[in-house]
Amino acid sequence: MSSPAGSGSLYHVVEREPPEVMARNLRIAARLFASAMVFAFIAFLFAFFYLRALDASAVWQPATVKPSLALGSAAMLILVAAAIMIRLGLRDHRAERRPAWRIKGAIALALLILFIVVQFVSWTTQAFGPSDGPYASVFFGWTALLTLFVVGLTYWLETTLATSIRYRNQGAQAAIDPGHASGDAHRTAPDIDSPVALVRPAIEAVTTFSTAVAGVGIVTWIVLYLLPA
Amino acid sequence: MILRRLIGFNLLSAVVLGIVGFYVGWWLGNLDTSSNLAYFADTGQNDVALFTAYLTCILGFLTGLGFLKYPINRMLGKPASLREKETSGSSRYFGLCTDHKVVGLQYLIGIGVFVAIGGINAMLIRIELLNPTAETISANNYLTIVGLHGTLMMGMMTSGILGPFANYLVPIMIGARRMAFPRIEALTFWLLMLAGVLLMTTLSYGGFPTGWTGYAPLNIEANMGIDSYLVFFVLVGVSMCLLGLNMLATVITMRAPGLTWGKLPIFVWGVVATSVLMLLAAPVLFSTLIMVALDRTAQTSFFNTQLGGSSYLYENLFWIFGHPEVYILALPGMGIVLEIIVVFSRKPLWGYRLAVAGMLGIALMSWLVWQHHLFVSGINADLRPFYMLSTELVSLPTGFIFVCALGTLWRGRIRLEVPMLFALGWLFNFLIGGLSGVFLSDVPSDVTTHGSFFSMAHFHYTIMGGLLFSFFAAIYFWVPKMTGYAINQRWAKVHFWVMFIAFNSTFGPLLVIGFLGMPRRTVTYAGYLQGANTWVSISAFVLGASMLVFIANFVWSLVFARVPAGSNPWGSKSIEWQLPSPVPVENFAELPTLDGDPYPYGDANDATPVTSAQIGPPA
Amino acid sequence: MRQHHHAWRIAGLTIVGTAIALPLVLFVLGPNMPPGNSSEGASAQVRDNTVLLVVLTPFTVFILAYLAYAIAAFRLADGDATQDGPGIRGHMPSQIAWLAATTAAVLFLAAFGTVELYASNGAGGGSGSDPIARPSGKVFQVQVIGQQWEFTYRYPSYGGVETAELVLPVNQEIEFHVTSLDVTHSFWAYELGVKADANPGVDNLAFVTATKTGSFQIRCAELCGLWHGYMFDTGRVVDSATFATWIATQQQQFADIKKYLPPYAPTYSPDPPARAG
Repeated sequence: MSSPAGSGSLYHVVEREPPEVMARNLRIAARLFASAMVFAFIAFLFAFFYLRALDASAVWQPATVKPSLALGSAAMLILVAAAIMIRLGLRDHRAERRPAWRIKGAIALALLILFIVVQFVSWTTQAFGPSDGPYASVFFGWTALLTLFVVGLTYWLETTLATSIRYRNQGAQAAIDPGHASGDAHRTAPDIDSPVALVRPAIEAVTTFSTAVAGVGIVTWIVLYLLPA
Repeated sequence: MILRRLIGFNLLSAVVLGIVGFYVGWWLGNLDTSSNLAYFADTGQNDVALFTAYLTCILGFLTGLGFLKYPINRMLGKPASLREKETSGSSRYFGLCTDHKVVGLQYLIGIGVFVAIGGINAMLIRIELLNPTAETISANNYLTIVGLHGTLMMGMMTSGILGPFANYLVPIMIGARRMAFPRIEALTFWLLMLAGVLLMTTLSYGGFPTGWTGYAPLNIEANMGIDSYLVFFVLVGVSMCLLGLNMLATVITMRAPGLTWGKLPIFVWGVVATSVLMLLAAPVLFSTLIMVALDRTAQTSFFNTQLGGSSYLYENLFWIFGHPEVYILALPGMGIVLEIIVVFSRKPLWGYRLAVAGMLGIALMSWLVWQHHLFVSGINADLRPFYMLSTELVSLPTGFIFVCALGTLWRGRIRLEVPMLFALGWLFNFLIGGLSGVFLSDVPSDVTTHGSFFSMAHFHYTIMGGLLFSFFAAIYFWVPKMTGYAINQRWAKVHFWVMFIAFNSTFGPLLVIGFLGMPRRTVTYAGYLQGANTWVSISAFVLGASMLVFIANFVWSLVFARVPAGSNPWGSKSIEWQLPSPVPVENFAELPTLDGDPYPYGDANDATPVTSAQIGPPA
Repeated sequence: MRQHHHAWRIAGLTIVGTAIALPLVLFVLGPNMPPGNSSEGASAQVRDNTVLLVVLTPFTVFILAYLAYAIAAFRLADGDATQDGPGIRGHMPSQIAWLAATTAAVLFLAAFGTVELYASNGAGGGSGSDPIARPSGKVFQVQVIGQQWEFTYRYPSYGGVETAELVLPVNQEIEFHVTSLDVTHSFWAYELGVKADANPGVDNLAFVTATKTGSFQIRCAELCGLWHGYMFDTGRVVDSATFATWIATQQQQFADIKKYLPPYAPTYSPDPPARAG
């Protein structure tokens, strides 16, 4: 389906775009977004070490401000488990064991939601609050930011899983209605050829990003929970 | 009938839902009447309520534009798609449109409006500074005006080149039909516009007293007006980060066959270098502003010395973002100036690899210099020689850009068209800006000039004399391609000459005034500087008048006169000029192979860069 | 080969321009550079500014001469606007020469600046609470306390007397201790060439030796809120005898209220640290 592009006032689909293009976009986007996430945490890392070294007014981390190592370790392990689960799910999808991928994806999704719950529990049950000194300030700010990125990861994983489930019986050559997803009434044909084929690159991208999030989770655990005051 | 067309996902719905969302959030935020917040609510200083209100306003606005349709559809499992509203006529400029060319034009007008508001603020500042002691504008309003001027200009011009011009041109220059993530591209534009509007609401909350740098602890002591500033920069930061991500993803993954990194137009290299900085510096700002918001609402102690925090922490974090930020402002202009000098000398770019090295060198070194803003602060005084060296070393890659520009001019066939005038003006202004930067980078010299009008004149020379001149160069060069209409050249030349002379007349003396002892951001100054300040103010008014000439010419040429520009009025061999003006929706009839030299000037076969068949519509 | 005349002409313009500009810069502009010579730190800055000007002048002249020459000589007179210029893509010797010259200039300036900074004990700039370079021998301590929106001054060696006017003895090594009670300010004594930021909880040291008597401007150089623009003062440098008389008067006036003020300390905070909310 090919026709010359005209003066620009009418929408002509010149050719349907092969899914490989968006696949490349997704894979690089995961790496780029992971880099941006790391820099957001570098700011908090800087704040942590700066205020700790300064220890102004000798109130960096008063004795009453001790976070629960159990909750912190649980949160970190949940993130690592979710990342591993997603990676194993990718391996399944590559070996065409799609039902196995869907199960692992669902487990990973549940783990990520569990992480968010554990974070809320951690914030509300700790013996200290954000106004209890610089360490507590960094603790709450840092974990809030991490939770924000985990919410993003949860959304990304959910959309990948949902597409996989919706088209589970049709495979990559599923017939897609024009105007799907975007709701553009003027659509005459889907703009990406066989977009369900994008599920695997999406899983690859989510795997990259979830590994990065898990890495940040481990650093969080070391800095906030393991380092001495 | 009109009413039916107005209902739907568009700007009107966005504004309505944004306003509704604001009041819903305000009500929600005021529900918590626990002892922590009761005091603040009683005094009408409830920051939590205001932040909540801004958040729900943002959600309402984005919902009204239709940005939530796609995420919700994706969560229901519908597969990915790329395009929305690309064919709806002129209404597509007033909503979510995924055509990168539409986004580029939206950015151009949107940024132009806010920069004009920032410019009006500058005129008010110069009115106030006509008199050394009296207050024409009250002290509080003056500080807010100074803050608004800086904040608007910095926030808007960060995306000033990439938003309009990279969005429009990069897919075309690399032989693609789209950006990597078209909806995210549209999102960056609307976030920036919303940010500007929300910043203006500071006026109803008392303004903010910190200037655009927002230093602690003044930013914590300030009243509610500063929350608008925080929300503005959070939105700008998100917009910047996503814009950089999109540009990088596009250039990395969507280059046409044959287009290796070594054949990329230098403008695209400038965009790449800028995008790396945008992607990585914006998150630092984001985190810093979260810390400020927490200090203001949850009584955390990031920046409060008495509670264990440090005002120095803010200064460090802000400038770790802030210095890459100013190179984000400078780099795109360098790419544009080099492209324009190539076309109007009709010679290939001299020292292509040196220019690329210069841009990447600037991008890398921008992370290593930030403490030169803090030479007299008492921070890390023993590291000052290191930062003096690193800052002076940045002038080396900057010098590469200059030598490549000069080399391209060598024995060229120079035409002094309007874009070339602005490019040459850039060279002159950035030279002065760069030289004044060398003074500021030298610690003993900086003792007197830090925080004075010398420092202010330095960054106006680089950001206004540099970036804004390259912005206008790009407008005069590429708007005929983007709209299909020519801009009147005689009035364009009037604009250039008045602007160039008035600009130097305004900021040249300010270099001297700063050295003579006038600090920044003050309503008063020593009496012996009144004559000089009057000269500067009058020059500034003339500079403002030149902008009016531009606006009048721009509107007249594009709305009323509408003289067709043709597809290649400048005789350039770059690919975008081989297409019709304006460029059609799909950019190319067939996707091209781009394995030729990007600057095939002076070669015997007079080749164009495109080597495959027909890329425009059939003749 | 015939094209070398452009290079010779540009070189000639540069040399002539530099020959005119350099003496002007070195002998006319340099010695008159701000902030003047009222103190040793200020003189160090003037020396530094002069060196900067001298090093930067040849580069500036070259670039401006080149631009002017290029626009004049290579401008298209008339004729075919679509004919290309020569396909010159680079010239390694020029690139190397440029890189070498600019690198040498930059390294020299950084080295000179460092030497000047340490030789003058910070050239009057705020150097933190533990500077590497401090004057040996006896120093005269003055504390500068910034608050919204006024500077006050305490003299620790005179019983910690606090005054609203800054008076300094001439030809003595002065050690400023700059701090703040609330937000960030900056103590800028223009003619003395002193600028040091005032941060709460921080003791920021700056050194200066005033060499001339007279008055000097003091301005706050860091935006500190509503009346920042009114936070200025005038200080005086006087001879030792005048100073002794003045400080004795201050101590007399201060005696009654001395018992209400906190003892002299590098920084001041409420005790114990209060917490809001």
